[in-house]
Amino acid sequence: MGIRPGGELATRPLHFIWIADCSGSMETDGKIQALNTAIREAIPHMQKVTDENPNADVMVRAVKFSNGAQWHISQTTKVADFKWADLTAGGVTDMGKALRMVAEQLKVLPERGLPPVLVLISDGQPTDDFDGGLKEILDQPWGKKAVRIAIAIGEDADLDVLQKFINNPEIKPLRANTPEALVRYIKWVSTAVLKSASSPASQSKQVAAGINVPIPAPPPEEVLDSADDVW
Amino acid sequence: MGHQWQAIGKTVCGAAHKRAGLTNQDSITWYPILEPGPPLVMAISDGHGSAKSFRSHWGSAFAVETAREVIREVFKPPPTLISRTDLSNVKRLLEERLPGELVRNWAARVSAHFEHYPFTHAELEKMASGDSAGSLESLEENPLLAYGATLITILVTQDYIAYAQLGDGDILIVSDTGGVSRPLPDDERLFANETTSLCIKDAWSDFRTGFQVLTNSPPALMLVSTDGYSNSFLDETNFLKVGSDLLEMLRAEGLQKISASLYGWLDQASQEGSGDDITLGIICCMDALQGGAE
Repeated sequence: MGIRPGGELATRPLHFIWIADCSGSMETDGKIQALNTAIREAIPHMQKVTDENPNADVMVRAVKFSNGAQWHISQTTKVADFKWADLTAGGVTDMGKALRMVAEQLKVLPERGLPPVLVLISDGQPTDDFDGGLKEILDQPWGKKAVRIAIAIGEDADLDVLQKFINNPEIKPLRANTPEALVRYIKWVSTAVLKSASSPASQSKQVAAGINVPIPAPPPEEVLDSADDVW
Repeated sequence: MGHQWQAIGKTVCGAAHKRAGLTNQDSITWYPILEPGPPLVMAISDGHGSAKSFRSHWGSAFAVETAREVIREVFKPPPTLISRTDLSNVKRLLEERLPGELVRNWAARVSAHFEHYPFTHAELEKMASGDSAGSLESLEENPLLAYGATLITILVTQDYIAYAQLGDGDILIVSDTGGVSRPLPDDERLFANETTSLCIKDAWSDFRTGFQVLTNSPPALMLVSTDGYSNSFLDETNFLKVGSDLLEMLRAEGLQKISASLYGWLDQASQEGSGDDITLGIICCMDALQGGAE
């Protein structure tokens, strides 16, 4: 065969960003612990997906928001090396600031990459300029094309806001009212959605209408045994 | 003092598709196959491969067949040496007639295939499990969606080169001195795996075309490739190096040797790069292969 023509080969980067609500209300009823557990438990499953899809170079980061927003894991981390450090809760819900931080990162993603996956998890209502933050994301080419998933924790989460973030009428916010449901949804987004985003398939322009990644059906909403189970 | 042109090419099933048990969705054809041109026509096509485009391997096969036949028909060579007026007319044919003819002919082939082979229950079930709820409705409205594909064509004659492109993929021109350029402007809409396509309404209006009158310094090579190839390289610079490297290799080793190596190179690119199907067509100016940088 001989030396091939062309320069360096590379798999396609796929940026996966957790956007996590760490406001004071997440402290109640063990919600923040449940979120930490869910993400930590999802890591081996995420690793299995990336092993099965080696042409997607999945890199994970996390943003947290309460009073302001900060990078929880700022370094893009390959899934094989990804370790979850526990989030702690306290403060308000500056979701808009978190979205602005993500939008800044979307500006520098390479064109040859696969669509990024953004997962917003919240139990309440934003206390800052959410619309402005969302606009900054959707103004970015990669923002428009990102896979945007939202998980509502408990009954006080603002579903309208989460739906706005998703910006696709065919995809609804996932409603996690128990720790078990949260684990299921976090696992689904870390595996089924990630696998779909890792595919190189194209979509014709007219039918794409936003994101190009087909989103698989999420796990069904749970049937609750008793009111004690519910957040 | 016409130039002689010859074509080689290869298409490989992507590493990701092999893992998923899918077929190659790309297609390539050229004419004449073994004899040198001009005239010489080359066409490549990339079937979308999405859940909704479950017959896109057919779509891409029909696309390249269509291109080969339509281009030969539309651009029949004139009996006498072509004049400046003739060249203007040819350019107009390229810009105003070819896109519509390609789309119409492709749609006719696809419709005939669909009539003989309606969608099966198994195909629709599989699509529904991998795609959104609205897909079935959109397929009922427009069955061509299942065959969605891109198309890139090059026609080389004694007097001109004509390029036409719908959708993603790349055309590169390599000069006699190894400089690499693109003859067509970018289409900014082609981003994040989204592409224009033969299957959508008014597809003819999404074509990009380019026309080049041949002079004493024709391109040494023209390369056409599906986006699985460029997406396998670290960046644009690393991809463009394919052009200059191939010119060197062709001059050193000849057409046959390079043709035999193509499969291995493209397979390696898919495995270590995008994972997608990869197709590469190369049109060589035989005079330029005799030359070389001093």
